[in-house]
Amino acid sequence: MTDNHQVPFGSGMFQGQAKFVDYAHMNQQEVQVNTLDEPVMDTLLRDINMILYKLSYVIIPRMKETQGRKLRNCKRLDQIKIGDLWGPLLLSLLLAMTLGINSNQSSDTIFGTIFIIMWGGSAVITVNAKLLGGQVSFFQSVCVLGYCVFPINVAAVLITFLQSYLGFFLRLIIVGAAFLWSTFSSLSFMSSMMNEEKKVISVYPIFLFYMFLSWFCIFI
Amino acid sequence: MLDNLNQDVSILQPSLQMTDSQVQNRIRQMKMEDPDDQTCYQRFCNLFTIEYYREYFDVTTDLVIAKVVNAFNPFSGTFFDIGGGIPELYGPFWILNTLIFTTALSVNIIKYMQLQPGEHFEYQFQIVPILTIFMYLKTLIVPMIYRVALKCVSQDRLTLLHCFTIYGYSAVVMIPISLLNSIPNPAIQWMLLVYVLFAQTSFLTSNFNQELKYLPKEKKYMIVGLVAVVQITIMILYKFYFFSSINYQQLGLVKKRTTTHLLSHILGAN
Repeated sequence: MTDNHQVPFGSGMFQGQAKFVDYAHMNQQEVQVNTLDEPVMDTLLRDINMILYKLSYVIIPRMKETQGRKLRNCKRLDQIKIGDLWGPLLLSLLLAMTLGINSNQSSDTIFGTIFIIMWGGSAVITVNAKLLGGQVSFFQSVCVLGYCVFPINVAAVLITFLQSYLGFFLRLIIVGAAFLWSTFSSLSFMSSMMNEEKKVISVYPIFLFYMFLSWFCIFI
Repeated sequence: MLDNLNQDVSILQPSLQMTDSQVQNRIRQMKMEDPDDQTCYQRFCNLFTIEYYREYFDVTTDLVIAKVVNAFNPFSGTFFDIGGGIPELYGPFWILNTLIFTTALSVNIIKYMQLQPGEHFEYQFQIVPILTIFMYLKTLIVPMIYRVALKCVSQDRLTLLHCFTIYGYSAVVMIPISLLNSIPNPAIQWMLLVYVLFAQTSFLTSNFNQELKYLPKEKKYMIVGLVAVVQITIMILYKFYFFSSINYQQLGLVKKRTTTHLLSHILGAN
């Protein structure tokens, strides 16, 4: 596309292309025409579609490493490659609010703590993986770890709504299942970028991180 | 430049070898002495790159597991023979975090078990930041004390990083003990405490002993005594702050009062 190319606002072709385009390589003018003039609903729907698309990767955990590598390297999946932080932000806010609402005392402490643990924990795990020699970009890894908190979110919301019907052991089972689901979701991504001999030591921090987050959900 | 490198390597004792990344770091340091070669960023901001710290994380799974298994054995004294005795920070850091998690877990389990039949369980969360600060300070300060003591008896083979490594790995014994501490029987808790004290102190002293073999008796006993005293202090603090029942009631009471006070204040103001 040249500099003078005027894209008519609201054309179907334009909107169809908006979904899978790598914005980093687009012309400055074109970017402004794309996102500033379209209706707000379009922007929101596009972002929501992006988030749901990535969540589908979390909901069906890709156990095989080859698929994890494909997730990392595939040129067609531009959005996963770029990595966005909207999904992790929404999920962490939801988790922190759910856990905070349910505690009678110090709800603001718990909100702040969950928030910090999620973002700080993701950052620490990513730095750990980089220090051990993995080739991963910082934001991509934080994005994946954030999205994989989704099952723990589901467990927290479930336990909130069914509080009086669930005994301790049933809660344990639900939270345990959510924890295992989260760990397996992020496993294929994380282990695909480390050497054979360093896989366990780079996955162990993820295990600890999700266990720490799931532990909060049992005692709501 | 290569001659200098060989000289450096030969100063080290045979059991303490250099890894590839350490050699590369040394070469880079020597290169940096020539200012024309390096940009300003590389000269001053090297501290902020990840590559600078990579030599401290040069581990594999087998190495970490071997070191952890060795740490459970208080008498072998072979810790520095594993993997060439290279200091690393991966083990200490993650063992520390695991320990914080298991202690917080165990404190909450004790509180849960002390619950009266009609009460709703409140997750005792304030313990986590306090625990974090306690554990991190302990892991930072105690190896420095050891290093200073070793320097006083003019032992220069073990650097500060070696002290960090061995102290971090010696804390592995505390992980299962902190989980078992959730059993509310005070006799069991005290027995576990004594066991941890004994295990950690003898692990540390038997490993330092390998290096201290050639010193006169008084200096050796001084180091051993220092290690034991520091460990006893830390264990007593740990037990009495985190695992005493009086503390929970205090914390519980204080929080309840604040909440009702605030509520009545808000309601009264309306």
